[in-house]
Amino acid sequence: MQLELENFTKCFDGTPVIENLNLTVGDGEMLALLGPSGCGKSTTLFAIAGIYRADGGRILFGDRDMSDLPSQRRNVGVVFQNYALYPHMTVAENIAFPLTVGKKRPPAAEVDRKVREIAELIHIEELLARRPAQLSGGQQQRVALARAIVRRPDVLLFDEPLANLDAKLRLEMRSEIRRIQLETGITAILVTHDQVEAMSMCDRVAIMDKGKILQTASPTQMYRAPVNKFVAGFLGNPPIVFMDGVVAADGMFQMGQGFTLPLPAHVRGLPLGQVITLGLRPEHFGGAGAGMASGRVSFVEPQGRETLFDVDVAPGVTLRSIQPMREDVRLGDTVNWAVDVENMLAFDANGDRL
Amino acid sequence: MSLSADLSGTKGAVHAHRPTGTAMAQDRGRPRVSRLGLILVAPALFLLSCFFLAPVVLTGVFAFTNMSTSTGIGAGEYVISPNLLDDLADAGLSEEVVTAISAETYEITPDGIEAARAGGVSADFLRDIEGLLLGDGFDTARGIETALRGLPSAPRSPRSLKLTAEFFGHSVLNQRFDSAQELTEALSLAVPDVDAGIRSEIVGASYTGAIYTTENFTYLATQPSTMRLVANTVIYVGATLSIFNVGLGLFLAITLFYMPKRVSSFYSTLWLLPRITPLVLYTIMWKWFTWEDGFLPLLAEQLGLPAFNYMKGSVITAWMTMISVNGFVGASFGLILFSGAIRAIPTQQLWASEVDGATRWQQIRRIILPQMRWPILFVVSYQTLSLLSSYESIWLTTNGGPGKTTTVWALEAFKTALSSYTGNLEYGLGAAMALVLVVVGLALSIIYLMAFKFGELVGRPRIEF
Repeated sequence: MQLELENFTKCFDGTPVIENLNLTVGDGEMLALLGPSGCGKSTTLFAIAGIYRADGGRILFGDRDMSDLPSQRRNVGVVFQNYALYPHMTVAENIAFPLTVGKKRPPAAEVDRKVREIAELIHIEELLARRPAQLSGGQQQRVALARAIVRRPDVLLFDEPLANLDAKLRLEMRSEIRRIQLETGITAILVTHDQVEAMSMCDRVAIMDKGKILQTASPTQMYRAPVNKFVAGFLGNPPIVFMDGVVAADGMFQMGQGFTLPLPAHVRGLPLGQVITLGLRPEHFGGAGAGMASGRVSFVEPQGRETLFDVDVAPGVTLRSIQPMREDVRLGDTVNWAVDVENMLAFDANGDRL
Repeated sequence: MSLSADLSGTKGAVHAHRPTGTAMAQDRGRPRVSRLGLILVAPALFLLSCFFLAPVVLTGVFAFTNMSTSTGIGAGEYVISPNLLDDLADAGLSEEVVTAISAETYEITPDGIEAARAGGVSADFLRDIEGLLLGDGFDTARGIETALRGLPSAPRSPRSLKLTAEFFGHSVLNQRFDSAQELTEALSLAVPDVDAGIRSEIVGASYTGAIYTTENFTYLATQPSTMRLVANTVIYVGATLSIFNVGLGLFLAITLFYMPKRVSSFYSTLWLLPRITPLVLYTIMWKWFTWEDGFLPLLAEQLGLPAFNYMKGSVITAWMTMISVNGFVGASFGLILFSGAIRAIPTQQLWASEVDGATRWQQIRRIILPQMRWPILFVVSYQTLSLLSSYESIWLTTNGGPGKTTTVWALEAFKTALSSYTGNLEYGLGAAMALVLVVVGLALSIIYLMAFKFGELVGRPRIEF
């Protein structure tokens, strides 16, 4: 079912935190709401669930306006960050709960059948008789997911579902959640502040900051062509390096500290002296490219498969490079590495991408 | 050779080390008692023994005595009263002995003459008595009166003779003896042919001081009124707990939980008023509320309902008043505890239930209430103990009436021991009743502590020192 937010506005104590937000999630699509803490992504999610009331605009499931319906009548499934399992019920009772509170309570046999069906899909058949306190974090997460989808909701909402898991489980649950979403085909929204989660689990990513959606695009699109500095800086780990400078003669870029680089082809036509910011991702420094930068290695971080280097190319200017693991470069060495100029991102004085 | 020497050397070393090793193992196994710790708990121990242990021990001791206002709390005297004789006769003392003890004998002694002189008998008459009758004894009043009449200076009127004779009268009845021996001697004079065993029984029974006895408990166990008291107490504690402390407390906590914060904090404060009002003021306000000219009867009158003193006018209304007086105080306790417990439920859990489709009622019944089990159990156990032993508000309102219909165990114990209408305070019986409360309270406490796994609560600290 398609989900649409139309000029959605939400205020807390009279202060608008989200104003005129528009968002469309296609049928069966999984969309990530990505942004730093306090950007309004969870507020948006809870408004879709009906936990918060919208102060303006419309929330449409298909073509039904849900804005004024209480959460009980919206048929959404929510997986909360702390799972919010009912501690006094067994796993089976937790999963059955949404089925047994409706107006028409289905016969016990049918409830039981549905619970088993979902438990099988989520691989928790052997946990049905336990209580939440007897489960690990990952198992609780699975139960929460089972409870959210047992009613076949129109929309499935995830609020930071992996934040409380350790690194290994996070990896496992990432693919599990995506698998189940794909198998059930339920339209889903994932709220997260972790760009890796957003990019790896979702069809599209909507990046939010200060109550506004800055860009909605597929993960690769967004990584390659961020609309502004904020998006470019938020995506990518290790993050992009920004360099502030001006357009100089001969299609060169010059920084105040004297460091220069050739400009990418698409911004060479800019007038001389215009203030611009270049963004260089670590994977575009230290490989092949038209520009060169030399400096002293000031930091080395071996990460196993890859090694991360910080190179001081001018006073106060540190470029970052990530390369397949190499041990020939050490801290304090002077290196002269290529810069993939054409893959650099350029931003104007307002931070918008040129 | 050298090998065996080495072995024995090792053995020796093991032996040498063993004592220290054992000492260390003991140190680890046994909780360490530090002097500083003892000093720090000393005030608490002192207060505990003064204000808890000592009263309990004294109650235990008094419970096994028949101490009362009439026995006094000091050493008693030996008195054979007419009442005692009646009791003894009922218990099987022979008629002859009873008559013999109650009979008066007369003897002309210098003491008697002195007493008569002080009593205003004429000097001439006394001189005659002293001269002619000194040392004589008489078994009956008639005998001495006849002898007195025969004296030269005897007064005419039989009444004066009778009065004079009384100064020489001599009976064990109603006389106070300081020791058992004195009474025994007096008895053997008065009734010489009574069996020594019976005599010592009579002496024992005549003791007016407190004695050690288990009679209080037999009395309590055999009185039909005891069952009535127990039933009253159970109804009182049960009704107050279920209707107010738990029922109203839970209802308020849940209602206030769903109200806007400002409203809920206002009402929570309002419900705390009964608890922070001084008890006497609080009960006086209940009197204004329920007495003949009080708020409720006046209102009832306007509405054409029966209007009377609800606090003492009928059994049903007295019970309702008594339970309400305690209940409104208790409800605030439940309110605070349950409110805290509800707020401890993660908000996401409530959101989840709403998203899952639960109505508010289903949310209360299936999410909130099941998680209130421990707080409810705590309120029930804690308040049972305090309700069992509290009587002040009942004493100040219905005072157990009308009749004894709203008298509970603690109130009866208090009245028996310390506030009797007849004036005879039965300390021993009251203490026995209090002891029953203490035992019941201790038993309940142990059960509750086991239910709450008290051992885990006071287990080894998680932080190491």
